[in-house]
Formats: sequence, structure tokens, C-alpha cells
Amino acid sequence: MSEQSLVSDGPVLGKEDPVLRAEGLEKRFGGLVATDDASIEVERGTITGLIGPNGAGKSTLFNLVSGFYEPDAGSVAVNGVDVTGQKPHQIADQGMIRTFQTPRKPEGMTVREALLVGPHNQTGESIIPLFTSPDTVEQEERRSLEQAQQMLERFEIGDLATQPATDLSGGQMKLVELARGMMAEPDLLLLDEPVAGVNPVLADKLAGFIEELNEEGITFLIIEHDMNFIMRLADPIIVLNQGSVLVEGPPEAVRSDERVIDAYLGGPSE
Amino acid sequence: MSALDVGAYSPREKGVAGLLGALAAFLLLAVVTGFLAPAYLLYLVGLSAMYMLLSMGLNVQWGYGGMINFSVAAFFGLGAYGTALLTASGSPISGGVSPVIALFGGLGLAAVLAVIIGYPTLKLRDDYLAIASLGLAEVVRIFILNESQWTAGSAGLTGIPLFFSDWPVLGDLTYPYIFYVGGTPLFNMSQSVVTSALNVVLVTAIVAAVYLFLRRIHQSPWGRVLRTIRTDEDLAETLGKNTFAFKMQAFVIGSLIMALAGVFYSHLVLFVSPQDLQPITTFYVWVAVILGGTGSDRGAMLGGFTIVAIQQGTRFLTDTGALPIGAAPLRLMLVGLLIIFIVRLRPEGILPPERELIWPDSLGGGRDE
Repeated sequence: MSEQSLVSDGPVLGKEDPVLRAEGLEKRFGGLVATDDASIEVERGTITGLIGPNGAGKSTLFNLVSGFYEPDAGSVAVNGVDVTGQKPHQIADQGMIRTFQTPRKPEGMTVREALLVGPHNQTGESIIPLFTSPDTVEQEERRSLEQAQQMLERFEIGDLATQPATDLSGGQMKLVELARGMMAEPDLLLLDEPVAGVNPVLADKLAGFIEELNEEGITFLIIEHDMNFIMRLADPIIVLNQGSVLVEGPPEAVRSDERVIDAYLGGPSE
Repeated sequence: MSALDVGAYSPREKGVAGLLGALAAFLLLAVVTGFLAPAYLLYLVGLSAMYMLLSMGLNVQWGYGGMINFSVAAFFGLGAYGTALLTASGSPISGGVSPVIALFGGLGLAAVLAVIIGYPTLKLRDDYLAIASLGLAEVVRIFILNESQWTAGSAGLTGIPLFFSDWPVLGDLTYPYIFYVGGTPLFNMSQSVVTSALNVVLVTAIVAAVYLFLRRIHQSPWGRVLRTIRTDEDLAETLGKNTFAFKMQAFVIGSLIMALAGVFYSHLVLFVSPQDLQPITTFYVWVAVILGGTGSDRGAMLGGFTIVAIQQGTRFLTDTGALPIGAAPLRLMLVGLLIIFIVRLRPEGILPPERELIWPDSLGGGRDE
């Protein structure tokens, strides 16, 4: 089968311009090995899919590269800068923003307020400029407000701007998360199951938005269990199994790869 | 969108304002009819303002950033002792320093303690600050109690001057200070009334300044990040916010405001002792913040006021003889009942935060209003 040859055994490394490069990541929780020598590279401009059976270590990998877990071994680089062992906020500053599997609801905030947390290094986030240069704060804030409104309108939820962020449906929440992530002007967005619990119509829309943003230059790394969604959107697809990368390749090839099917069905057949 | 209009008042706020107005009228009436001594009323105003400061301080920590601080009494006490040790004639350390300078001594002590306790615990999850601060308040109190070579121990510090004692004019008033209108003495103001009035002026200025300061830093990107941290610290981290730094700033600011209350208390009561650092103060302040509406500066002020109203109102009841028993034991029960009512009927407090934390001026474009 010619398709099989497109699928690499293990990760494809040495890509030309990777936004994210993780090498040999290992994380143990007591005796349990969650990721074991996991290496991935996310090439700039791609939508890279990350799939794998339950317990394969996908979310652990996300937590490792975004700084929420400290790896026992291995390294992480974002935009060529080594960020191994750095705090999540330092890694975010390098241009990589993540979302969470379960949407985080900012209680007591309106939707636009939640979006305004997105932009990095706002002048008004330090106390002294609030008193010494209120004009700068005001201008930035106006700009951010405008940007937030545009972002919401782009995702067709402009009318929600002044709604409490906790009163949204699951799907709307995902859109708000995406919008907030975009407010931080990332190079790479890590999405953890963006369409879990989202109705098919909205999932379709979401896929469209992601494609649009990708065309504008945002790189994506997406964990998703919905095969139709991820196969339509992502190329390449990285398959994780038992804590390390099993194969990587284009969606059609990965879908029919024996090893992948075996992993999902639980252990090699024959 | 009237609820979101910055600076506009909600019906609830109007209701509260009405109630407070009625209470003020009632108290004034009590003074005019001679039922309440003016000096005592002014003392009560000072005490309320002090509790307002304590509540606003805790609100910065708990209401803004979700930090659980059980050592309000310690920061209050450091403020009180800081200024007392520098100014009091009975101070074993120095004494005689001008209160205006000593103020910074109290604030400095509190800031140092806030950093010492905040540095190791704020990097961890919320619970650790709660646990550490639970012990901290007692450590500070017992330290003051035992190290009498520095703190005068259980005897307390006496001879604390009035805040205005070394000011020109204000420090030199002679008593009784009689105010004449057309040759007839209108007010015959005794020393206690004048000094109490000066204290009220002082504390009103402090409360106003703190409130304006807090309003500005709260309705800003800074306050917004803290609100995000409060609901979800991980989320704030993923958006590139150095949550430790934000929490530390809020923690120190809150502690400084508490210390300010302590400084004022010293110059109001003119005596401090380890008794003033009892954990009950922390408890009252927590009740005040929750009662008023966690996260709201106005709520914190209202809560602080309410606590004093309960404390002193029960004393009032005893004096009138309306009850067969002393009302003091009822005080805690009243507070308890109040908490139950609040939790049942208005879990978010009397004046919960209703405003978006967006820089007010930037909303002035009229687009969203």
C-alpha cells in the first residue's frame, strides 16, 4: 500500500521551521509512566492533530509543553527558545497559548471582560502606570475593547459581549476560549478537545473558524477525539500511544494505518 | 445595561444609602436630645471607619484575588504596635517620634511580614496561605505578649499621643474650646469632642483616599487579572500572567490597608495591648467582607460599618434596659444569625460587585452603553 509509506514510524523530526519542538519528554506519576520519550515537532503554519486512545498521554503532553508539569526528562522549545522548566506564563509569553479540556468559566465576568484578560503585557496590569499614565491605559483599553468586539463578531457571538461569561452554552464557551486565546496574539494555539460536547453544527463552524485563522498564519496543535473533525482539519496527524509517538502522517494514511487501528482496538492483533 | 454603567447606582445601592441616611438621622437625633454623647458618637464613627479599612484590606486579598488570610489581626496589630512603639511615652524602644513618621513604621512592619508570609505560600495553592496565616496571627500576638523588653508585654503601651499632637494649631488648641456666635457661646466643646472630631476628619480622609485608590486599581487590567486568578489561576497563567506577582502585590496592598487601620486605632484609643490582636478581630472582618459582598469595595465598607453597628448596638440595648439580660452575649449570636440570613437570602452579600473590571474612561465611547 502506497499510503502506508506516507506514515512515518514514530514522530517526524527535523522539520524546517517548528514553532514547538518537544524532545524526549518523560513524565512519571509514581510508578505510572504517562509520557515516555515523547518527541513532537509542530511546523509553522500547519494545523497539527494529536490523537490517540484514552490514556495515551495526550493531555500530559499538553501539560508538559505548556509548563503545567515539569518533565522528568526531555526539553521543550517554543520559537527556537528553550523553555524547559519555565512557568506557564513565561511559556505563554513566547507565543504559545493553550486552552483546557473543560472550558474555564471566569465567574463574575462578562464575556468581553474575559476576553480583555487576553492581551499580553498591558500597561494597566502594573499599578503605578494606573496613576502616572492613565491616558496610555485608556488608549490600550479602548483598542483591546474594539479588538474583543471584532473577535466576537468574527465568531458570530458579538451579541454576547456584555453577557455573564458563565451563562453560555458549552459551544459558545469554546468560541469564547478561542477568541480569548486569539486576543493574546499567539503564534501557536494548543486546543484540548475543542469540539467535545459541542453540537455538530457549531463544531462545523468552529472548524471553519480554525481554518480561517490558520490561513492568517496561526499554527494549531489540536487534541481531538472526534475523528471526522480532526481528519478534516489537521495535517499532519500525530498518533500517541502509551506515552510516546506511534506514527505521524497525513490524515487519510493515518486513518487506515494498521498500527493505529491496533492501538485504538487495544494491542496488536495477529 | 444600567447595571453595567460605571458610576451609576443600582436600586440596591440606593436602598442601602437610604438606610444609612436614616440611621445617621437617628444618631444625630440621639445626640441632639442628649441621649448620646457627641464624643461617643464621634468615637463610634472612628471605630466604624477603622473596620471599614480592615474590610477593604481583606477584600483586596480575598475579594479581588481569592487569597484566604486568617491573620487580619496580625497586620492590624503590627500597624498599631508599629506606630505605638515609635511614638508612645511608655515605649520600651524609642518613643517620641512624630506620628506622621511613625505611621510608616507601622506600615513597614506589616509590609515586611506580608512578604515573609506571602513569598513561600503564594507560590502554592490557596489553602497553604490559609493554613500559614492561621498560625501567624497567634505567633505575632504571643511574640508581642512575651517579648516585653521590646513591646511592654501584657501591660500594653500607654502614652500614645494623638495623631495631631505635634501639628501646629491643631496640637495647640486650648480647652474648653468655646465657639461664640454674637457673644453667646454656641458650642462648648470639650477636649474630647475636639480630638474625636479631629480623629474623624483624619480617618475620613484615610478611608476616602483608600477607597479612591482601590477603585482605580480594581477597575483596571490589574484588577481584572486578579479576578481571573480568583476563579482560575491556571487560566491566568496560560494567558501569560505572572500570577505569583499579582497575588503578592494584592496581598501586600491589603496588608498595608489593615496596618493603616491599626495605626489609626492606636491614635484613636491611645493604648494598645496584645488583647487587641485577638483572633476575634479577624473573624469579625471576615464576616464584614462576606456580609457586604465579597469583591466589592463598597460592600466591604458597608460590612465594616455593620459589624460596628452590631457590636455597639448591642451595648446600646443593654443600656436602655430593654432586655432582661445583658446584650453582650447576644452579639455573637446576632452575627451568627446575620450570616445565616445572608447565606440563605443573599449569598453574594448585600452589595455584591456589579461592575465590569474595565478601565472606566475607555467605556466612554458610547458604543456599548
